Amino acid sequence: MRNLTVAFAALLAGMTLSVSEDAFAQERTVKITGFGAKSGVVRVFGINSEAAMKAGAEEINKTGGVTLGDGTKAKLTVEFLDDRCNAEEGISVVRRIASTDAFVAVGPTCSNVAESLFGILQKKAGDATDSGLQFPIIADVAAKGGLAKISEWSFRNVPSEFEMYKSLFAWVKSQHPNLKTIYGGVEKDFAHSNATFGVMKSQAETNGFQIAGSAEWLLNDTTFSTQVREMKRANADIVAISAHPFTTCGVLKEMERQGVKPKLLIGLTSSSSIETLQGCAKQAEGIIIPTSFAPVTPEAKKAAESVAKFGGSADLHSAAAYEIMFILKDVIQQQKIMAKPDTVQADRVKMRQGLAGLKETMGLLGKVGRTADREAIKPFLYVHAKGGSWQVLHKPSS
Amino acid sequence: MDFYFGLIQIIGVHTLLGLSAYCVLLTGQVSLAQAGFFAIGAYVAGMLTVIAQWPLVPALGVSALVAGATACAVGFPALRVKGLMLVVATVAFGEAVRLFFFNFTYQVQAGNIRLGPHGGEGFRQIRYFPENGWTTLDVMLFIWAVVALVMAGLWWLNRSRAGAVLRAVGEDELAAQSTGINITAVKISAMTVGGVIAGIGGGIFAHYTTHIEHVQFGVVLATFAIAYPILGGLSNVFGTLLAVIFIQGFLIEGLRFMGDWRNLLFGGLIVLAMNVRPRGLLDAGAMLALKRLFFSRKERSDA
Amino acid sequence: MDLLDLIDAVQSVADGVLFGATYALLGIGFTLIFGVMHKLNLSYAAASIGAAYASLLILAGIEAPAIFVFLMAAVAGGVIGGLVYLIAFKFIPLANPLATLMSTVGLLLLIDEIIVHSTAGVPLNYPALFSDVIIPMGPFNLRGDLIFVFALGCVCMVVLLLLLYRTKLGLATRAVSQQPIASELCGISITHVNVLTFVLTGVVGGIAGAMTGAAIGMLSPLLSLPLTVKGLIVTVIGGLGSIPGAIIAGLVVGGLENFFQFFRGVSERDLYIMLLLFAFLIFRPGGIFPTTAGRD
Repeated sequence: MRNLTVAFAALLAGMTLSVSEDAFAQERTVKITGFGAKSGVVRVFGINSEAAMKAGAEEINKTGGVTLGDGTKAKLTVEFLDDRCNAEEGISVVRRIASTDAFVAVGPTCSNVAESLFGILQKKAGDATDSGLQFPIIADVAAKGGLAKISEWSFRNVPSEFEMYKSLFAWVKSQHPNLKTIYGGVEKDFAHSNATFGVMKSQAETNGFQIAGSAEWLLNDTTFSTQVREMKRANADIVAISAHPFTTCGVLKEMERQGVKPKLLIGLTSSSSIETLQGCAKQAEGIIIPTSFAPVTPEAKKAAESVAKFGGSADLHSAAAYEIMFILKDVIQQQKIMAKPDTVQADRVKMRQGLAGLKETMGLLGKVGRTADREAIKPFLYVHAKGGSWQVLHKPSS
Repeated sequence: MDFYFGLIQIIGVHTLLGLSAYCVLLTGQVSLAQAGFFAIGAYVAGMLTVIAQWPLVPALGVSALVAGATACAVGFPALRVKGLMLVVATVAFGEAVRLFFFNFTYQVQAGNIRLGPHGGEGFRQIRYFPENGWTTLDVMLFIWAVVALVMAGLWWLNRSRAGAVLRAVGEDELAAQSTGINITAVKISAMTVGGVIAGIGGGIFAHYTTHIEHVQFGVVLATFAIAYPILGGLSNVFGTLLAVIFIQGFLIEGLRFMGDWRNLLFGGLIVLAMNVRPRGLLDAGAMLALKRLFFSRKERSDA
Repeated sequence: MDLLDLIDAVQSVADGVLFGATYALLGIGFTLIFGVMHKLNLSYAAASIGAAYASLLILAGIEAPAIFVFLMAAVAGGVIGGLVYLIAFKFIPLANPLATLMSTVGLLLLIDEIIVHSTAGVPLNYPALFSDVIIPMGPFNLRGDLIFVFALGCVCMVVLLLLLYRTKLGLATRAVSQQPIASELCGISITHVNVLTFVLTGVVGGIAGAMTGAAIGMLSPLLSLPLTVKGLIVTVIGGLGSIPGAIIAGLVVGGLENFFQFFRGVSERDLYIMLLLFAFLIFRPGGIFPTTAGRD
């Protein structure tokens, strides 16, 4: 019986401890809380985002930190919580953050978590009949199209894949006028890949390519021979694959086995990370992917080094987290956020208004436009896999 | 406070999921189909409140009926087999349900957006609670009213003749059969009750997460459904509740201060718990000890 | 359907059947443990993948040939198998099948998370043997590496059958699986036999994990859950405790997957397989090779 009591006490203590830990803000530090997946197969995203946020905070603190509404200077600190890429846990994490005096949260990693999360937020700011949570969230990774329009409290700093593939296919058309047909491949049960595949297909058609067919597989499929054989029969000039590294590599390896050699390979934005190269550098050689990050500008180089120092790697997703830290700094200063326990609700409203009012932010590759439905239009470039690393292929002028 | 209310909501819904598996486990059978019934409840209730604009309670009623009817229909063939065969057969059924929703699209135009389930992309904007001004506390109280009803029902069932029959089948089918119990009928009834409870749980799940998609209802959720009652012990309904608190409250939220170790401890502590308490956290022994603690004086006076 | 389609269909099914060899290996492991202990070890597929990961540690140090890596996977598999017994079975009373079911679920989650923590969940390249060999047979091509996996599966089966029916250990194992109490009275140490069974199935699992990695060319923690489900399916379809059954069922499941992939597309593929499986279990609950011994 004693054991049971002890267990209960430990349980309660654990639950309380983890909330109240930072309830008393130390003088003049502002904590920015990020959340995302740090468990399971998507763990690498969480690690990278956390490192990028910490790198961003360090950079800001080096230059004196952030000026609060009452004129005092504050340093930024970063905390990162794991949501295991699970919607219920994501909601729990955000409620936890919202129960502290945080005025914004950065995340999540997974689009399915973002869907649920943005759904529990108030749909229209100031709508008294809507009892949804009034807490601004800005997403760094969740990439499925059109998520931020779910709520006026949700924002994103993720690249618009629509713009990227629109530009990419137009560029391919101009560079390789002799390529006519295209064959698609899609990870059917992953919402992001599936949605992006729709974008790829429509953009390819708009640019006058002929769709020779498409192959479909699932996120954790292990054999692709049937799909690749169809691909082989179609004998298209271009193969465009909308899938994450694990199956992208699986398909590329099967293509090599069956001797499918398209003249051009196009991949999904999320596969432009180090994972693809670890899994199948040899087979991925030459694959072209549009991305919103590459260490090409001095700022981007510095960011990449600084993120690496915190144990992550800078890619298009974590670079967004890095940029978000600077966006938040600007909004805090511009909206005169007080960051005091008794101004929490007002700070959140100001933060939301500030984020919604942004027309343009500074990104690592240049200016980032903001749209009316709280999404970003980020500059991007095309990279291709060459000799086991990602190299910049072309930078569109726009 | 909202954080705790939210957590208690999650605990409530998972208790319903666990109890649905508990009913079937009482008859000695392990069913991994509960996530499938949960999914059916979620989609039915979500479609009723979003597309048909029904109020929540009747929508939950219908989702309970549909999930219960499905469970009954599946129970007839499935319960001819038992043990590992049933485990795999129910996995197959659960996966079939999930894959059905993976392929299921039914959307209606509402203003400038389209509402309803959309195949692999899921079913978003099930916002009945916030749209009707329910606060987190309201939702929590509502969920727990349902949980309390279900638990009371099962508690009563447990102590009635029906409970004895269920356990008799669970302990020894042959002996139960020779006392004239219709085993198939008992098992199918348990499965149906389990389906009804999972249907209600799923219906609520859809509304407090606001977005559902097929991946949420996979084998992992089915495994959790049976994990709760097994971990908690089958001696009564509170075992399941205790296990849900242990997993959702302690392992997931309570261990956050452990940082990266939390994920490792999650599996590790489940293994440890089973080693230390193989008959569940709240087994018959613990219940007896509790009873002695609370009713000791009365017992003594009786004696 | 013209000739070309037919050839493609046959080729697809053939590819699937060959890939099914990896399922068959896993099925053998599941079935052996179930045969001896009458319990389900849900952590088995995860442990197999874990063994394959462990073998990669060798590669990190030295440039080893693929066959050496596979051997290391088998060794690691054996060690992990023993550990699994110790952690999830040893201390739990035999009369509690539900408890061991849960403890192996916990172990599955633990193994997965250990893999994720040590690799950040990133897929890793895995070496293959004969991966560049393609054997042409008329209009069809057969993958060399998969034929190797298939052959290895058959070798495993023969070795296991010899072990079970020609050695003292095998006799003891079968005795324990049929009459545990009687065999204990005859002086057989049940713990001993159980540990050996787990180590042995662990070795098979390590090989299965390595072969799966080799056949895909990569390892990812994404694999453990689908392989667990497939291993279970294969075990049940093959008939509980039947090693030849597991092999045939593995090949059949592999072939059917590609069959439905070819004719119905990926969205409906698994749906049909699951419905088929459901029907099969209902109408032939004993599997392909039902066990004749009417134990309990």
